[in-house]
Amino acid sequence: MADLEIKDLYVRTEEREILRGVNLEINRGEIHALMGPNGSGKSTLANTLLGHPTYEITSGSISFKGEDITEAEPHDRAKAGLFLAFQYPVSIPGVSVANFLRMAINAKREEPIQVKEFRTQLQHAIELLDVDRAFTSRHLNDGFSGGEKKRAEILQMAMLTPDVAILDETDSGLDIDALRTVAEGVQKLHDEQGLGALIITHYQRILHYVRPQFVHILMDGRIVLEGGVELVERLEREGYDQIRQEVGAAAGAVDDGV
Amino acid sequence: MSEIGDALNGSAAEADAADGTTAKAKAGRHREATLYHALHGAGAGDGRTLEELRAAARDAYDSLELPVWRRSGFWTTSLADVDLDSLSSAGADSVPEVVARTLPDAPFAGRIVQSAGAVVHVELDPALAERGVVLCSLQDAFGDHPELVAEWYSKRLTIDRNKLEAANAAFWEGGVFLHVPQDVVVQAPFQIVYAIDRAGIAQYGRTLVVGGANSDFRVHEYDLAEDFDGQALHAGAFELYLQDGARCRVAQLQDWGSGEVYDASTRLVSIGRDAYCHWLPALLGGHLVRQHLELVVTEPGADMAFRGLFFAEEHEHLDVFAVDLHETGPSGGDVHWRGAATGESRASFEGLIQIDPGAQRTHTYLQIHSMMLSPRARIDAIPSVLVSADDVSASHGGTVGELDESAIFYMQSRGLDRAAAVRVIVEGFFEPLVAELDDEALEEVVREKVAAKLAAAREDIETYATSR
Repeated sequence: MADLEIKDLYVRTEEREILRGVNLEINRGEIHALMGPNGSGKSTLANTLLGHPTYEITSGSISFKGEDITEAEPHDRAKAGLFLAFQYPVSIPGVSVANFLRMAINAKREEPIQVKEFRTQLQHAIELLDVDRAFTSRHLNDGFSGGEKKRAEILQMAMLTPDVAILDETDSGLDIDALRTVAEGVQKLHDEQGLGALIITHYQRILHYVRPQFVHILMDGRIVLEGGVELVERLEREGYDQIRQEVGAAAGAVDDGV
Repeated sequence: MSEIGDALNGSAAEADAADGTTAKAKAGRHREATLYHALHGAGAGDGRTLEELRAAARDAYDSLELPVWRRSGFWTTSLADVDLDSLSSAGADSVPEVVARTLPDAPFAGRIVQSAGAVVHVELDPALAERGVVLCSLQDAFGDHPELVAEWYSKRLTIDRNKLEAANAAFWEGGVFLHVPQDVVVQAPFQIVYAIDRAGIAQYGRTLVVGGANSDFRVHEYDLAEDFDGQALHAGAFELYLQDGARCRVAQLQDWGSGEVYDASTRLVSIGRDAYCHWLPALLGGHLVRQHLELVVTEPGADMAFRGLFFAEEHEHLDVFAVDLHETGPSGGDVHWRGAATGESRASFEGLIQIDPGAQRTHTYLQIHSMMLSPRARIDAIPSVLVSADDVSASHGGTVGELDESAIFYMQSRGLDRAAAVRVIVEGFFEPLVAELDDEALEEVVREKVAAKLAAAREDIETYATSR
């Protein structure tokens, strides 16, 4: 059984059905890329995996490390070892990055983390993400630039050591240097900690720095193509339209059925 | 703009009431000490002796009813439930336990504690005493420093705007006098404590603080009560005068505990030429609290930061009237309040910027942010601007917040449960002001009190948050 197992997942919001039968398996130590055009349901999947209340699972299941977490509270999923790097991280005024990290780490532990241990870990993460020490005393995401927000997400990921992380368009809005830092950070966490990752992206460029073993293409709420890294290259050559045409028959059939 | 219009209409109503028509006069009575009559009272700074002022206040006390403040359509604050006959001022000879429990274990320049009607503890750094700093009961100050006290006592503080203000001026006992002479700079705070240790007490606390030219100091006032059953009253009066170039940071920590404690107090800070004041009341509890707060710029070049935070819970009722008055310019003002309410509590905040004729080149801003944490709690905020000069900037803004679900989900995705996430949001909401206390020990006291209130209201908040 895979660490994260998504089975025939159907998800809707109040307005409409978005995911229509997603199947996906992710293990620790594996890097997956989930690609798809705008509106295909990528962010819905990311938020649903962490239990966002806006998204209603109408059928299917999510299990993590053998436990069914389809109905679990978001914080219980996090404690079990899931992590979501948000596309649009929310600002938390009045709380410093360091204090927030300490709270999040302690939420997972019986005993509060020792000051010294925390500092060591924080120092390691700071170096990994190439951020200023002063960065951690700023209020979380409050007045951060787009790049700073994304770095703060990966900094949290590094500190919380999840088993499987979902990165929701972490590459969007990043300049090439920031992108490289963030992507290399993810690769390192994979290499050093055995992180499993689902990298959700619209573009290919982040995948030049993090090499996925598995690539999935999501269209109209279903995974329509799966393969290895060669799929990224094909997508780069052909674009989504070409692929849509090829798989169009199947996707179209579903569309007609709705 | 609607608030400005409202304020101007109010002035017209006041004029009508003065003509003596019965109906309007009645409306005016209820509005006493809200916007339109706020700054007008009699008896201050006119050379009368303490005895004469006490006698005049006594007359006012006898002729006035217990006050009711009404903001039509918004709120009513009534002290009518105070059973004055059953309350009495009383002597005391020891420092109540709540004081030791609450005051931080940190250095201080001086400490004075009044329990019920008596000052029970006075302590002043001898090195400061040598430099002329005076910290003693106001009663003693009238004996030991008569000229100094006479110059400032009730110089601007009125004595007859309502029955409880009059009661204070007529009946005060003990009291606090602090004088920091010219050029004296003190880093550690002067602590002023008013404590009520049991039901049945009427405490008429009166504080006079004078900061000499170019002095620089801090005042931390603590208003504390033990948790008891039954009524008690604190009718306080506080006045602070900053002379040319003086700088002062004033913080007030108020937590009257779980008893039926009524607090109706008037506080005034007057800032002289090129002086600066940072004033931050933290109003953290009391059965029914009415605070009339005036910050007055009296001479050019003065600057101030008027901060405040409040947290009402259970069935508490809080009514704050905060005035930022500029009599001259150029001057600066920055008013920033934040409040939260849980349970079935009620909080109202009326903030007024008033710029008098001639107070040119005054720049001031008023903002009030509130956060309701229960469907049965209510916070009203009315910012008003009354401007009578043309070369000024004065504006106001504010937010009424509920819990941000996206922020809660964000934190939950990091492993914090819902209650913890809410706590982070509310603590973060207050944090910009708490940090401005610029005193770690006091900041910790405030943070702990906010955390305790959130913990107490946990169920309420969760029900509220999940119900929407």
